[in-house]
Amino acid sequence: MEVTVMKNILGENDRIAAENQALFKEKNVYVLNLMGSPGAGKTSLLEKTMERIKDKVRMAVIEGDLFTSKDAERIEKHGVPVIQINTAGGCHLDAPMVQKTAVKLDLDNLDLLIVENVGNLVCPAEFAVGEDDKGVVLSITEGDDKPMKYPLIFKESAVAVLNKVDLVPFCNFNLQSAEEDIDTLHPGMDVIEVSCTKDAGLDAWCDWLLARVRAKQGK
Amino acid sequence: MCKECGCGETNGNTRLQFLVKGYTEDGAKEVEKTLLGLPGVLYVHIHWHEGETTVDYSPAKTKLMDILNVFNERGLEAAL
Repeated sequence: MEVTVMKNILGENDRIAAENQALFKEKNVYVLNLMGSPGAGKTSLLEKTMERIKDKVRMAVIEGDLFTSKDAERIEKHGVPVIQINTAGGCHLDAPMVQKTAVKLDLDNLDLLIVENVGNLVCPAEFAVGEDDKGVVLSITEGDDKPMKYPLIFKESAVAVLNKVDLVPFCNFNLQSAEEDIDTLHPGMDVIEVSCTKDAGLDAWCDWLLARVRAKQGK
Repeated sequence: MCKECGCGETNGNTRLQFLVKGYTEDGAKEVEKTLLGLPGVLYVHIHWHEGETTVDYSPAKTKLMDILNVFNERGLEAAL
């Protein structure tokens, strides 16, 4: 009987992710893979991040979406280099996509590259793209049960950004319970509360990000 | 893993069920929290009266021995 050996697609992805990581290390670029549900506020967080730190670090963004370049257009307005990847229905970015895209950026003149993944709490957590860290954005309107329902993304991420905290009084969201669940799944994980619309908590988030960039660059 | 689209299907987790003797209600909660804090452990459910303990985990990230140690360190007897 012939035994068919299935190709390990994650193995192949991991191999290319390691190549990407080696390239980013050589170029001294810190890479954050930013994940979260559609509407969690990933692009809003990026906009606020750019407002605060684009003059402190040289940054670029890779935008992942199923279709359209709407998010890339929002980023472009801030004068930061951005490249849009349309996955044409694909539910996550993978390492080959980022490899093809990253070489189009001027990596020699970058400190920080943020890869905004496709809005999805499941699949992006499974696929490394060559990042230094993964980060997850969870918004208050999604509900405080999401960490336990989607544990992998919180396990894999170095930081959880709780967005839209200004809406806590109007939503059935128990902040303490959510943060305890995150700490249970990933003990000691950094959790940062922000509101992009109210400009709250964003300095703490930017400080976290800048510290990561400096640590990568040995500064 | 995403069973809707099939991506990541080769990165399968394993679900084990243990019978554990010696739980108290609070002890079971503490075991659940500790197990969930291990790398690759995505789901834990404990019926503390019966001792039924279900653990969904990635063997690539956590060894079975690491899970058994959580029981052993608390003087609990666990059998698969």
